Amino acid sequence: MTEGPPIVVEHLVRTFQVKAGLARVEAVKDVSFNLEPGEILGFLGHNGAGKTTTMKCVLGLLHPTSGRARVWGLPPGSAGARARLGYVPENPDYDQSFSSLELLRAFAGMRGLGGTEADWRKLLERVGLRGWETMRLKNYSKGMRQRLSLALALQSKPGLLVLDEPTGGLDPIARKEFRDIILEENARGASIFLSSHLLSEVESVCNRVIILNRGTVVRTGTLEELLGGEETHRVSYLEDRTAREVTVPSDALQNTIDMLRAKGFPVTGVERSWKSLEEVFLSATGARS
Amino acid sequence: MKGVLVFSVMTLRMLFRKRTPWGILIGVLLALFAIAQVPSFSVGNQGRFILDFGLFGIELGALVLALGLAANLFPQDREQRTVMPLVAVPLSRWQYLLGRFLGAAMVQASALLVSCAGLVVILLIRGIRVPGDILPATVLIVSEGWFLLATVFFFSFFTSPPLNWPLTTILFVLSQMSVRDFVGLAPSSPDLMRGLRLLLPHADVFHIKDPLAHGFDVAPQFFALAVFYGLCYTAFMLSLALAVFRGRDLK
Repeated sequence: MTEGPPIVVEHLVRTFQVKAGLARVEAVKDVSFNLEPGEILGFLGHNGAGKTTTMKCVLGLLHPTSGRARVWGLPPGSAGARARLGYVPENPDYDQSFSSLELLRAFAGMRGLGGTEADWRKLLERVGLRGWETMRLKNYSKGMRQRLSLALALQSKPGLLVLDEPTGGLDPIARKEFRDIILEENARGASIFLSSHLLSEVESVCNRVIILNRGTVVRTGTLEELLGGEETHRVSYLEDRTAREVTVPSDALQNTIDMLRAKGFPVTGVERSWKSLEEVFLSATGARS
Repeated sequence: MKGVLVFSVMTLRMLFRKRTPWGILIGVLLALFAIAQVPSFSVGNQGRFILDFGLFGIELGALVLALGLAANLFPQDREQRTVMPLVAVPLSRWQYLLGRFLGAAMVQASALLVSCAGLVVILLIRGIRVPGDILPATVLIVSEGWFLLATVFFFSFFTSPPLNWPLTTILFVLSQMSVRDFVGLAPSSPDLMRGLRLLLPHADVFHIKDPLAHGFDVAPQFFALAVFYGLCYTAFMLSLALAVFRGRDLK
């Protein structure tokens, strides 16, 4: 089998014609990145930044306008690429007339997987669907469909998991369980490509992050690279008996304290703080200058 | 191929759980029953009438079943986004198309065979001799039905269901026309019309209701060739459908 990194995206461009006769909109502009084996790569961006479009190009659901994507060195959508892939779509949906157990059985059959009903029940229990195995999907909530979607993605113990906003409809406890499963799968050896709006989620599970803004990669790096070296201090002081705060870089801390004292503002506290991913994200996307 | 079979069974179960095929089947059986109620001049004429119109009713049933079963399948899968998890991981696009087609084809064939059984029951109740070729005649209608089903799939990949119905019906009507009738549509350019007629399917090869109604024998080779023709045209339409589907983006 051709072996390559789990995902390689090279100069990917994807345009859409919103309405006949109107100009084309560039949803993804010259995006390039790799997902290395064993890595958890976070894909961040605001709504319409091009995250889902890029993911769908990687999965072979959309055809790139130019550039290319490869999965394990193979073209997206090819049998070899699909065989080692698990996918949790944004807002997953399946035929409502089936139960989760029937669906797992059918997907196993379609993928040529061995496995018994006991295995599928165990898998459903792992994603928190115990007791719902034989219930038809029309009775499922959005969060339950997401759990089922994760079960279907994990069914083949894939080497690559593509997760598009996987925790959107989940409550905080379910999100935590979801995160734990992602980390367990990564510990098993799976590479993970995770798109999420939840910065805390990305911060807690990802090794590396790509920030996309209007179809372009604006920042990329490991969490240490993005957050490290940006140590700041929060200085609290009183100005006319009103409590105030100012955040300053470490090298400007002493000057700031001296300046506040010179103005007659008593300093009430100094706290060390690090730049959060949210700040990095807002700054990279131009939402905060 | 196992993936296609599993998916076709999944499609079959999904369609049987819907009301559409049952509604159409009941409609066809009621139409057959209504045909049998039409008074006729003599017993012999009534037999011919019931057979002729009964088989025609089953043929129309094949068209309505093809549209009712398949016109909405892909548009609904796309609308509800159920196609994405299928095509992204367990199935390739050709497996999806073939699986959906085979599932719908099995439901359609079952409904047509039940309709044929209904016609036989009506003939028996009326005391009319049941011709031995009625089952092969129905198999030919099934073959025509599969061609229509493939046509519906083809249109469903680039049109909406409301447009699929008239397009498939027009093709069904055109496929019934003889070369002379077809040339009559545009007498000023007969060569073009003849060429066009050659490309379009010839549904008349599936029709043996007239000889059957008049008690003539039909050679077994004719059945075999007609079924083969139907299967070839079905494969051709499915290839066209796949070519369109492969180029489609699943947004």
